[in-house]
This record gives sequence, C-alpha cells and structure tokens, in this order.
Amino acid sequence: MNMYEIRFHGRGGQGAVMAAQTIAEAAILEGKQAQAFPFFGAERRGAPVMAFARIDDKRICDRTQVSEPDMLVVMDESLLEIEPVAAGLKKGGCAVVNSALAPSEIDLGVVARCVSVDATSIALEMLKAPIVNTSILGAMARADDFVKLESIQQAIMNRFGEKLGEKAGRLNSSAAKAAFDRSREGTCKGERKIQRKNAWLPTWQETPPGVALPRTTKAGMAVGPGSMSQNLTGSWGVSNPIYDDSKCIKCQRCWFICPEGCIRRSDDGALRFDIRYCKGCGLCAKVCPKDAIAMKRKGASA
Amino acid sequence: MDRKMNIRNMPSQDHLLCGQGACAGCGVAIAVRNIMRILGENTTVYVPASCLLIFGGGMYPHSAFDVPFLYSAFENTGAVISGIKAGYRRQGKDVTVIGIAGDGGTFDIGLQALAGAAERNEDVIYVCVDNEAYMNTGTQRSGSTPFGAWTTTTPVGKKIKGKRGFKKDLMSVVTSQDIAYAATLSIAHMNDFVQKVEKAKNLKGFRFLHVMTPCASGWKSDPSATFDLANMAVETGMWSLYEVVDGEVSITYRPKEMRPVTEYLKLQGRFKHMSKEDVDTLQSWICKKWNKRYCPTAPPLEGKEDDLAYGGDGCEGV
Amino acid sequence: MRSVKALTGNAAAAYGVMLCRPEVIPNYPITPQTIIIEQIADFINDGELDADFIPADSEHSAMSMAIGASATGVRTFTTTASQGLALMHEMLYVPPQVRLPILLVNVNRSLGAGSGIWVEYNDSMAERDSGWMQAYAEDSQEVLDMVIQAYRIAEDPRVVLPFMLCLDGFILSHTVERVEVPDQEEVDSFLPKFKPLNRLDPKDPMSINIAVSPAHSMEMRYQLDRQMANARPVISEVDDLFAKAFGRRYGGLIDTYRMEDAETALITIGTATSTARVAVDELRSEGKKVGLIKLRFMRPFPHEEIRKAVKNVKALGVFDRSISVNGFGPVFTEVRNSLYGSGIPITDHIAGIGGRDLKVATFKEMFSVLDQSASGKKVRDCTWHGLRGEM
Repeated sequence: MNMYEIRFHGRGGQGAVMAAQTIAEAAILEGKQAQAFPFFGAERRGAPVMAFARIDDKRICDRTQVSEPDMLVVMDESLLEIEPVAAGLKKGGCAVVNSALAPSEIDLGVVARCVSVDATSIALEMLKAPIVNTSILGAMARADDFVKLESIQQAIMNRFGEKLGEKAGRLNSSAAKAAFDRSREGTCKGERKIQRKNAWLPTWQETPPGVALPRTTKAGMAVGPGSMSQNLTGSWGVSNPIYDDSKCIKCQRCWFICPEGCIRRSDDGALRFDIRYCKGCGLCAKVCPKDAIAMKRKGASA
Repeated sequence: MDRKMNIRNMPSQDHLLCGQGACAGCGVAIAVRNIMRILGENTTVYVPASCLLIFGGGMYPHSAFDVPFLYSAFENTGAVISGIKAGYRRQGKDVTVIGIAGDGGTFDIGLQALAGAAERNEDVIYVCVDNEAYMNTGTQRSGSTPFGAWTTTTPVGKKIKGKRGFKKDLMSVVTSQDIAYAATLSIAHMNDFVQKVEKAKNLKGFRFLHVMTPCASGWKSDPSATFDLANMAVETGMWSLYEVVDGEVSITYRPKEMRPVTEYLKLQGRFKHMSKEDVDTLQSWICKKWNKRYCPTAPPLEGKEDDLAYGGDGCEGV
Repeated sequence: MRSVKALTGNAAAAYGVMLCRPEVIPNYPITPQTIIIEQIADFINDGELDADFIPADSEHSAMSMAIGASATGVRTFTTTASQGLALMHEMLYVPPQVRLPILLVNVNRSLGAGSGIWVEYNDSMAERDSGWMQAYAEDSQEVLDMVIQAYRIAEDPRVVLPFMLCLDGFILSHTVERVEVPDQEEVDSFLPKFKPLNRLDPKDPMSINIAVSPAHSMEMRYQLDRQMANARPVISEVDDLFAKAFGRRYGGLIDTYRMEDAETALITIGTATSTARVAVDELRSEGKKVGLIKLRFMRPFPHEEIRKAVKNVKALGVFDRSISVNGFGPVFTEVRNSLYGSGIPITDHIAGIGGRDLKVATFKEMFSVLDQSASGKKVRDCTWHGLRGEM
C-alpha cells in the first residue's frame, strides 16, 4: 500500500491523541508500520487540538505534520465553524465526522466521501461519558479498509484495557463495533469556505524586540495585554446557561464564581450573560440560591 | 463604620479577561479573576511556569492579563517579585506587585525563593493557587497532594495505590517567619475570600494568600463540582479558613460540625480507589488537624458569621 | 577628582559599580567573588551608593531578582562565580532574549568535581551560548574600566543585551594593584541615563515573555543572533570614547602585543596575558619574532579581528584555561572556526587548569611548540602544558 495519512481534529479531553495512537497500534498489530503523534498546543480541555497518524508497509521516515490527509477525522463538528478542518484533504480522500446528521447534510467545505456517526450518543449510551474516541475508531474502519475493525478492537483492548481495566477495554471495544454498525456513508457538501485563520507572522526584522508587546494591533488583530479576549471560548462547551432574571436576587454569587468572567454586571447588580465565552461549566447554576440559572445542552430546544 | 468588602460591592472591572484558555470550571481562573478585580489595574503580575502562565499569561502574541505581566521560570516567584518591587520602589512607583504560583511552584520547587522573600518581608503579595498536583504537566504529585490521591506519579497500581505521604502544611512554613499577613482562602467562601484579598492589598510587607483551587481535569471531577469541592473541603477539614496577622492566628470560618471525609472524596475520581483502611488513615490525619485548628485553644468566632453571611440570607453556607 | 588607589580586582569591580550607580543589586556570596558584594554593602551602608541591596537566597534568585528589577527599567547589577553561575544558568537565558542589559561580574573559578576555589574558565565558558556578551579582564584597572564600559555598551540602544564581565579568581580578584579611580562626574557624563527598551509599567502595560510557540521562536532567536553582531562596532566605539574621556584604551574585541612582524603568535585570555607578555618580551630579546593576541571578548567573538591580526603568522597557538571534555578548549574551537581555510596551523594549549600557577616558562614552552609547527613539523593539535605523565 501507499502511505496512508490521517489527521484528527478534536477538542482537548475528547481523546484525539489516544485515537491516533490506537489506530497506529491496530496497524502495527496487522504487521504494518505506523506512527502517531499529537500537535501540542498550549490550551486546555475543550480547546481545539490535532493529532496525526501514518500507516505504511515500509518504514515511515516523514515526521512532519499531516497537511494532506487521506482521511480526516472530525471528533467535534462544531470545529467546522471555527477551524480550517478540511484544508488539504487529498483528492479521493474521505472524512469521518462525529455528527447526528447524514453525510449529505454535513458541510465540510469540500465535496468528499464521508462517513458520519453520532459518536457522542454512542459514547454517552455505552460509556456514560462524552469521550468519543473509541466510537470514532469504529467509524474509521467503516470509512476505509486500511485497518480491520478487529485489529482496532484489539488495539482498544490493549491500550484502554491496560489503562482503565479489562471491563473498560471491553466497553470501549463494543462502542467501536456499535459505531461501525451505525455509521452512515455518503458524500458531504462543500459549500463552506475553508478560511485560514488570521495570523500575524512577522519577519525577524518586524518581530518586536524583547518578547514584549504593548496593547497594539498586528495583522488586523489585537495583540499584547488583554488581547486574548478575541479568543471566543464559547464553542468549547456542550451547554449554556439559561438565565431567568425574574427569579434573580442579584446576590452576585454566579458573577463571582464564573471562571470565564462572561457574566457582566451593572451598577445596580443586574446581570448579563455573554455566552460567546461560556465553556458550559455550570458553576453559575450550581451556586445560584434561587434556581434562576439552568444549564441547557446546546442545540436542544429551550 | 466602613462596610467590609463583599462580592456585591467589590470592583467589577476584570484584569484577567474573557477568552482565557483554562479548562471549564477551573478553580485557578475563579481565584485569579477575583483577586485581580480587587487588586485593580495598578498591579503587575508575575506568573511562573504553570497552567495560569499558559491560559492567562498567554501564548505570544496574546495575553489574557491586561496589566503588566512577566514570566521567566518555575522556581523563582518569590525572587522575581522582589526584584520587580525593588525596581518600582527605586522609581517612586507605588505599584501592587503580585506573584501567582501553583502548588508545585510554591510547595516544592519555589519554596526557597518564597522563604527568602518572606524572610526579607518583601512588600509584595504572593498567591499560591493550590490544586494539589502539577496540573500543567498532566497531574504529577506535589508536596501538596493529599494522602491516597491518584496522580500520574502516584498511580493506582496492583501493589501501591495513590500517594503515601500527607499534604505539606505550607502555611505553617510560611507563617513561621515574621510576615505581614497570611491567609487561606476558598472560592466557596466568597465574602471571606474578597475580604482577605482586600486586607492583603491594603497592608505593606510580605502577604501570602493560599487559595484552594479544585481542578476538574486533575481531580477527575465534573466542572460544575468545583464549587462543591471547595465547599466540602472546608466542611470536612481537608481545608480550613484562617488568617495570620502579626503571628496571631484567627479562624475566619468554623464549620458547625465535621463532615466525614468520604463526603469530599466521593465528589472526585482521584480518590475512588481508596481502601477503607486508607480512608481511615486520611480521616484520622484530618481529625488531628481539626482538633489542632478548631479546639480548644483556637479563639472563639465572635460574631464573624454575621459579617460573612452578608445580609444574613444564608447564601454563604455558614 | 580622580584618585589613585591600591585595589584588588574585586575592589576595583565594586568601585566601578559604585560609579555607575545601579539602582538594584541582588546578590549572593560565593568565593572568590564575595569581597565585591561586601565592598558594595559598605558603600551602601556608608551612604556612598544609593541602591537597593537585596540579599538573595541563592544565585538563581539573585538573577531572578535582577530580571524583575531590570524589567521595570532600572540599572541592575549582580555578581557571582563558578557554582553560583551554574546555578544561575537557567535564568541566564532570559535577559538576552528579553533584552535586559544587566551587568554580571563573574569571578572565574573552576566548576564541579575535581577542583577547588581557584581559577578555571569552565564556569563562564559553559554560558557562552546564552546570549550574554562576555569579556575577560587582565588587571584591576581593566576591571574597573570595563564595568563602566560594560554598562555603556550593554545599554546602548543599538545593543541592549546583558553583559558578563569575567575576572580570574584570586590571581586578579585578590591581587592588589594600582588603580586610577575616575571621578563621579566624569562617569556620569560618560554613562547616559538608562533608557530601557521595554518596561513593566501599569501606566502602559506590556506582556513580557509570555509563552512563545514555534511560529515566533525562530525569528526571535535570529534577531538575538543579529543583535549580538550589532554589539561589535559599539564595543570599539565605546572603547574609543572611553579613551578620549579617561585616557585608557583596551582595543575593543581584541588587543595585540608585538604582533607587527610576528611569525608565531599566541592567543591568550584573562590574567594569563600579562605573564605571556613577559614570555614574549624575553623571546623577542632572544631575537624570536613572537607576538600576542589578547582575546578580550568571547561574545561577540572577534572572528574578523583575529583573521586580520594573524594574516602574516606562520603558526598560531591558543591558550585555553578550560576544556570541553574530549573536544578541545572552547577558545581554540572558536579560533580554528574563524581561521578555517586560512592554511595557518593552529594548536591548542591547555594550561592553568584548576588554578595551577602559570609560569613564564609555560608560555615559552607554548611558543616552542609553535616554532615546530611553523617549520612544518607535525605537532599535537592539543597540548596540556604542565601535565604530569606522557600525553
């Protein structure tokens, strides 16, 4: 076979790195050569992350990040809104997307063969946690035959079983099988424009000296003190607060406890929720003494 | 008489801005956000290697702090803030200088620089945000990790399960020196929290704030449990709230009765493997600490509850 | 009023520091440096120097404090030696990239096991990759003068890099010599007020040294490399200005001695240069055409200057007072690098390790190796002089 390259897009905590490692182990179990590695960013749980895998019959020497994948794995479909996920997908390549939608309803940004699977539901159902990596692995076996489902299941047993116990290994292995069975095949849409993120990449002459920045603007974006406020973290979470101000006694406990600072208050203590930054931790609802705040899963009808 | 600061009348302006990259439900973010609100814009922040450096200090070219910020290494918070303060003092600038380090950066690798700054009674505020392990590198044990806890370097093995030693009593290390102020804080005791920060802000000399900051990722807890964890830690005696002024210890919140430690342990995954025997060991360690802290030599509370339960509506949980 | 005093190298450093009026002086004692901070403490407690003296809990903390203070935009000084410098190692990598022109006086002392408190350069040579300018002094007068020059160079807007001034433990640090101490007003007019490149200030907040991803690190590192290159002309310029103001000139990156018609030459560093001068004079009186190149700066390294100085020599030797284990002395490695392709035979001469006394005869022995080398004989690449036992 020719070298087969995979790029995973997920969020910190979803297990993208573990998925990449498991697919590599599955290939190794089949007597192939493989490599898997993460892109180590700096952000935490919930932030967009990437991982890469390569599979070949021969020794793999290329250690660069995968820029033209044969397979694209999208573990969180909300990433399609904010990241250039489909960039570089090879002609004839395929995409595996965690989504309740059918492939034809998914707008990847390029028309491509696509397998969709509601991995979140499978994970919640079988593992009682939204950790979708093992379900995604099952869907990957469905999407292409570069490794067999059985090898993936064995690799899951090896990796997860060792870490979390045999029972967890078996559950995860079953999740992969369920996902394999429930995956839907088709072709996704290419209407979305894949936009590279705005980046400021100065030459060495343009780089401000001293690793120091004042509040200023570079390449059309704010940099320096406070400029992280452009980072809209609201896409990280799965739920948002619903605030009923008629029940609110303005005790300010939610305002104090919100780690994001996305609850704003005016001088009279009135509160406003800026959910552009809300990661859905639910602490505001937790500390509210009057049940004025409830957490709702995103997309669910109010 | 001036009304004490509380969460309703404290300053609202943020200096750790929205968009910071912490995990959902991060205790450090809650603590630092509120400390920065109280300290205000005339503040300079030093953060050593830690989660806060990455999610707050930021990744070039972006920072979530809108005040002057510096980083240089892991173990030197007490030293760098001493230098910053000296530089400002020489220029006649009266600036609040704060260093915010994690438990690894304070209990372990940063202890020497911290002790030096305390001994010199440097005019700075040192905050330890304590999540009881090296969370930035993926949950390795620190001197702060409690007995029995799982971390990646105190794994739950077939033979040895979790950390064998106990949590270091950092406050007694720090307060054994003649410093201006030291206090323990909990994000679940909000008015107590802001009053202590306010007090620290207005004093001169070395001020040490020790905040317990639950960590959903490292404690294997739900992000929404951060508050309950902080609260139950105090109710079970895993954490206690007091301050030390001029060497005098006063308790700022006294739980009505001691809750069994299991009520704290069950809220998180890092203790779930613990044997009955290990739980008993931890419980008797807590009992010893509890008695030393609250009975019988500890001074009476003298109406502090009224101050804390603003308006007496019981929200504070006292 | 200028005054003439009998000062040790350490005392000369302390006088130089006092005249430069640093604002913050974090410090930690270590032999053979301690006298510097003791002397500075005396100056401060006697009211002769107005500065914040911070007794640190370690050299690591001392450098950390220097970074904090310098980042607010004030002139900063610290000093150490050997193990102390090694303990600072981690922090030494911060001021160059953050562009904090801190002055550090390092009193060279051998580092690690198999050594004591005496001079060797394995402490400072180990830091040559950190981005600090690094100069080595020959006598007490040069120590004092270079403290003043160092601040002028380091704070020059074209440079803004930290400066490490090195002096030999005991042989210089504890040796009393005649030193002319400049007048305070002279120094004040020679050394402009420090204007930082960036500074911590709540009135105009800056984020300084936040985490940097691979997207920016490379440009930053190249910029630092170029910045060090920018220091080259400034070092010569400041030496000229210093000569005009104080009447003493040191030659910039290198100095030469009797090189005009030299057929063999030795590159020396630190106090060894003085003793080597004696050897050169004696050999010259015997009719031998020998000369000396005094390496004054290890960073920026004087590649060009050395190439020019040795253009006509038939053999060149390099004196090294430290060894990169199984890999030659560090000065030799640099020099051979400079002269790659020149065809000049170059040899390494290790001596004085661990503070062993360097005799005039030792340098004569080096020149005799160079004689053989110049006559086309095959000689060892690296000779240890004064070593017991066959090499």
